Amino acid sequence: MTPKELQILSARFGRDNGHKLAVYEAEGGYTALRMALSGMQPSEVREVVKDAGLRGRGGAGFPTGVKWGFVPEGADMIYFMVNADESEPGTFKDRYLLDYDPHQTIEGTIISCFAVNARTAFIYIRGEFGWLVDRVQKAVDEAYAAGYLGRNILGSGYDLDMIVHKGAGAYICGEETGLINSIEGRKGQPSIKPPFPAVQGFLDKPTIVNNVESVASVPWILNNGAAAYKAIGTEKSCGTKLFSVSGPVKRPGVYEIPLGLSFREFFHEWLGGMADGEELKAVIVGGSSVPVLPAADIMNCNLDYESLGQAGTMLGSGGMIVIPERSDMVELIQVLMHFYYDESCGQCTPCREGTGWLYRIVKRLRGGEGSAKDLDLIEHVCGGMAGLTICPLADAAVMPMRSFLDKFRPEFEALIREPVPAVSSSRWPRGEQE
Amino acid sequence: MAKLTIDGTEIEVPDGTRLFDACADVRGQALPHFCYHPDLAIAGVCRLCQVEVEGMPKLTIACNTMVRDGMVVHTRNDKVRAAAKQILEMHLINHPVDCPICDQAGECGLQDQYMIYGLYDAEVEQADKVHKEKAQVIGPHVILDKERCVLCSRCVRFCADVTGTGEMGIFNRGDRAEIGVAPGVELDNNYSLNTVDICPVGALTSRDFRFEKRVWMLKPTDGICPGCATGCNVRIDHEAGRVYRLKPRRNDAVNGAWMCDKGRMLYKDVHDEHRLGAPRLEGADTDWATAGQAFAARMAAGLGLVVASPHCSLEELHLLKRLAEAKGAGLVAGPAEADRGDGDSLLLDGDRAPNRAGLALLGIEELPGAELANRIASAGATVLVAGGEPGDVAVVGEALRAADTVFLGTHDRATAGAARLVLPGAAWAEKAGIFVNRQGRFQRFLQAVVRTGQARDDWRVLGEVLSGLDQPHPGSLRELRGELAQALDLEHLEHLDNLPAGGLVPREAAGPAAGGDA
Repeated sequence: MTPKELQILSARFGRDNGHKLAVYEAEGGYTALRMALSGMQPSEVREVVKDAGLRGRGGAGFPTGVKWGFVPEGADMIYFMVNADESEPGTFKDRYLLDYDPHQTIEGTIISCFAVNARTAFIYIRGEFGWLVDRVQKAVDEAYAAGYLGRNILGSGYDLDMIVHKGAGAYICGEETGLINSIEGRKGQPSIKPPFPAVQGFLDKPTIVNNVESVASVPWILNNGAAAYKAIGTEKSCGTKLFSVSGPVKRPGVYEIPLGLSFREFFHEWLGGMADGEELKAVIVGGSSVPVLPAADIMNCNLDYESLGQAGTMLGSGGMIVIPERSDMVELIQVLMHFYYDESCGQCTPCREGTGWLYRIVKRLRGGEGSAKDLDLIEHVCGGMAGLTICPLADAAVMPMRSFLDKFRPEFEALIREPVPAVSSSRWPRGEQE
Repeated sequence: MAKLTIDGTEIEVPDGTRLFDACADVRGQALPHFCYHPDLAIAGVCRLCQVEVEGMPKLTIACNTMVRDGMVVHTRNDKVRAAAKQILEMHLINHPVDCPICDQAGECGLQDQYMIYGLYDAEVEQADKVHKEKAQVIGPHVILDKERCVLCSRCVRFCADVTGTGEMGIFNRGDRAEIGVAPGVELDNNYSLNTVDICPVGALTSRDFRFEKRVWMLKPTDGICPGCATGCNVRIDHEAGRVYRLKPRRNDAVNGAWMCDKGRMLYKDVHDEHRLGAPRLEGADTDWATAGQAFAARMAAGLGLVVASPHCSLEELHLLKRLAEAKGAGLVAGPAEADRGDGDSLLLDGDRAPNRAGLALLGIEELPGAELANRIASAGATVLVAGGEPGDVAVVGEALRAADTVFLGTHDRATAGAARLVLPGAAWAEKAGIFVNRQGRFQRFLQAVVRTGQARDDWRVLGEVLSGLDQPHPGSLRELRGELAQALDLEHLEHLDNLPAGGLVPREAAGPAAGGDA
């Protein structure tokens, strides 16, 4: 099987009626669930997933089976949440999974719930994905009708309810405690840890939050065994990963690749290289929050956790943004800084104040009002944000900011007009009119 | 117990201690903080109390970390100080720095932390600041300045968790986030001014205290709120003979860190227009020499009834009792139904007098209004009313006017109007004494300000009269308290004259566990 034929997650992408139960069942759907419910112990399911080396696909890459193991023994009520608040700029893989193949995610969710002994599952879908809510709800209804959800699933005695929940469209609700607060009806903002959700989450009960792609991988792992999954990829990056590729390449879109594939091959063979007349300048490989790599650096990378880590970036969510030579890197970072400024929930001071500060400095630079010390100031502000907040949103803003400045400093310097203006143009300015 | 090392000092603290508190013990000073408050849920958002715990990859906030055996913690190294400095800078970048017109100046967390951790030159361009609404009235007592706010969420947590009223919230997000009340909602609960106390900056300020006084000019004196039987421990902030505000003084056994808005406004009574400024004989102002003679003469002639009040201090009640005993007069208080209101489950007691327990301790019976009126009418000799109004003027007014009434009190109200002889006493902030609260806790209050006009300490007035009757009389409050301890069979308490700051419940103090501490 060539890498391109390896379709664990994407078999029904782009297929007519691939989202329907009949198609899914005809292609072996829900066999893994039958297997799990007929004779496997929850702990055995957890072991298989752990052994398979599946790592969380939302961005952090934490081993899924290990996370499941954090639920305290003997907990009376456990909740499971599928995180479909996909809002990282450049990332659009979960949307494909739910759009083209919702049953795969639903089956994976039921198995995962069985593994942690959860009796209620939520699928939290970001507000902007309105049509997906309908699509997933229809699939959930089909699953109920077929006896895959509800009381006494497939005669096993296991009960599970699944609720499709539509968020209101905040990036921060993709952070798991933010998601839990949002689903509880509170303001969507992260909670301090400890306590961790696996111990005290939704309604103060143990709660597991997994990314769509993570749970969607589970049926295949059960059907084919941990060893088969582990055989794909590298030692620490097992299985396949969806990459959503945007930018002026010949064939942008969502790709499922075996982890460890070289970027060079992926770029040339799969994406077809840059579109005509475009030249590759840089790549943000794992969603907007990871450090950018210039073309020369990324070309030597393999697409797996270790190789990208060594290169100073992260696999992240697999939201790959390909940047052409003609792009203005300062403009790009201004767009990204505006995103984090806009999406910061505002509770932790470094992030609340820092994201706005960074955005305004970059904006000032682009407006020709910047001075040489602004570049040092950017680094100073980043230093006051990174690692100092409840959730990683501050880091998510700092990583691209620092890397853009570090790798493309001349473009920033070119915007600085000397001499530095001594007094700002307005002595008594009005507030930001955003 | 957990043994840990903080800044090179080894300490042992009970398991379950917050690292924040352990650090404060070792440092002798709390870590910088805005959002942490011992009586509120942990928020962990100001990020100022970050410390380095060896073995952890990043700095960690001490407020949300529990001590562990073997922890090695650094609170003063360069990394920690640099983080505190930078986070403080973040707090300040959008702050208006309008300290010259801010009531909080002088007791502001931002100012204090800046002087310890900041001392940098501002890097932010004036044009970059985010501006928000200023001077928004959000309730009967509180005014909000949104751009001074550091979004520590203490006020939100207070209204959510302590009062359960939930008026406050944080609206919007990022650096547009702001504290506020929802449209149509007012911060209108009886504890709203506590949000001003816990606000570490000048975002929430008291409408009553606004622009009244620079806080560094105020002098603090320990007091007890006279507003109800709870006896909240307060700090009386005053200057040049004037009380400007009351603030709660922490006493975990009584009021925690809070007090109610009703109680806070009682300082106004001390200076109000109805205060008695001079003695009055037969309706005409006079001096103390004349008034004292008139009082002594009446006492020598015969005392029919003493009407005490649950607003009197324990010492005053004791002297009133001795006076009644010396003259064979009746001793009552009342009426029993006076000074009652609705209480709540937090602090405010339905009994709106501070020392009703003191009355009971000395065996002084409270009479209902009608019965009290009868007793006054049938006193047959001078009636001495002390400490406050003995009830509804409609019920007892006529009897008081008919009798030879002497009033020793503070305010020119119905009783003073009815009395033939009026002796101006000291208001609660103008004297020292002991109140016994609803728990039976003896709590000491100190004199904060000088007495109004010619008002005198009540115990001295009563002492002089006793002396005129050839009775032993106390020469000092200390002596008086010694006598009181004997009368109450509390001689084993060495501290009646020097009660601990948190007060003392004698029956608890007799056992192994001492009373509350401040």
